[in-house]
Amino acid sequence: MALDFSIILRFQDALLLGLWTTVKLTLVCIVLGCSLGFFIGLARTSRSAILRAASSVYVEFFRGTPVLVQLFWIFFCLPLILGVELSNLTSGVIALTLYMGAITSETFRASLKSIGPEQLDACVALGLPRRVQVTNVILPQAVLRAVPTLLSNCVSLFKESALVSAVGMADLMFVGQNISNNTARPIEVLTVVALIYFVIAFPLTRAVTLVERRVLAKLAI
Amino acid sequence: MTMSFSAPLVKIQSLYKSYGPHIQVLKGLDIEMKPGERVVVIGPSGGGKSTLLRVMMGLEKIDSGSISFGGKPYISSEGADRKTEIDSEVRRSIGMVFQHYTLFPHLSVIQNLILAPCKVRGEAKASATKRAQALLERFGLGAKANAYPAQLSGGQKQRVAIARALMLDPKLMLFDEVTSALDPELVAEVEQVILQLAAQDMPMMIVTHDMWFAKNIASRVIFCAGGVVVEDGPPEQVLGAPKEERTREFIDRVFHIRH
Repeated sequence: MALDFSIILRFQDALLLGLWTTVKLTLVCIVLGCSLGFFIGLARTSRSAILRAASSVYVEFFRGTPVLVQLFWIFFCLPLILGVELSNLTSGVIALTLYMGAITSETFRASLKSIGPEQLDACVALGLPRRVQVTNVILPQAVLRAVPTLLSNCVSLFKESALVSAVGMADLMFVGQNISNNTARPIEVLTVVALIYFVIAFPLTRAVTLVERRVLAKLAI
Repeated sequence: MTMSFSAPLVKIQSLYKSYGPHIQVLKGLDIEMKPGERVVVIGPSGGGKSTLLRVMMGLEKIDSGSISFGGKPYISSEGADRKTEIDSEVRRSIGMVFQHYTLFPHLSVIQNLILAPCKVRGEAKASATKRAQALLERFGLGAKANAYPAQLSGGQKQRVAIARALMLDPKLMLFDEVTSALDPELVAEVEQVILQLAAQDMPMMIVTHDMWFAKNIASRVIFCAGGVVVEDGPPEQVLGAPKEERTREFIDRVFHIRH
């Protein structure tokens, strides 16, 4: 069979609109998910056993189940339990945020743990108050150390976001699938969709290496 | 701080410290240090030297005993609950430098120096920077102000760590094996800086394995082993002609290894 990629040009506006939805959804969930993940990461290193236990259950549950199942559960089951209708956008944001929160909390936890006790000794010897120890010494180092993994987490989220097409949200994947069904040209359409995902994800994965080489190597942290 | 000649700067009284139920590190330590003294603490590993400095800095809890500075008790554990009480106001008069530099890796050299003065004492950034720059010049690090710790040699890092502690105008400096992690050719530059401070009568307590340095800087040497003070006297005595058998064995062994 002859491949005809020119068909894509007819649908480029629809595809771009779908991409825009994917990007917006990803960005919103990165911000919400990283913030959630940061606090969950703190909770997991907390002195309170209750906080530690509750946050561990959350993280392990969301890391141990497929994102698609989480998304379906939030879209179909949560409305039944809460008695409110959730739009596919709301379900998508909740599901991806919870997923991002779970994976980034592990990143933050690991980076907090990697700061040696001698840094705290130095803080005490300099008489730094607890607040300054946290905001000026511990947090900046934890965040810097977390950056490469966080970027990888963002790439994962960007790719996983294609799942929201399964609950009917008009993201890039959803639009691509529709076009492919209506034109009976799955090879051309889905190949281009894959390429669009790749063109955005690839520079981000390269950025991870760049941050590691340039910034973290300079600071040796 | 004004005090009469004979009043001790530091007074450590029956200090006990253990790690867990079985490891007793300090077993009733008593030390008095006069103003202007440079005390070098030597002794075998595990003898409690580093723990002593860490306790004095308030980095470790104690089981019992007390430490005063300038006549004011600032660390004690006397009550029924055996909780270590630390007066952080008094503790601020003491500076400490560690074996492993402990610079903040995400801050430049100058930022490392001005963090505490700005955040603890509320000093203006401009004035702290000016003082920091002068201090760095004095230690031969003027060109390194904007470098990050990872870009410095071990000796440079340790000199920055000393400068950082001095930014708070300490009345006593504690040096915990500050040259032990350095390559041999870098040891001298750090020791020079400490000798410079000694020439300005900075009171200091130094834990070191470097006997040459101990001999050169000490106004008094304490030999610590098994968590107690075994011998305490002028360097000529403790290092040259020790009275105690255990001190003599240790000194013989150390010098035998070195020469």
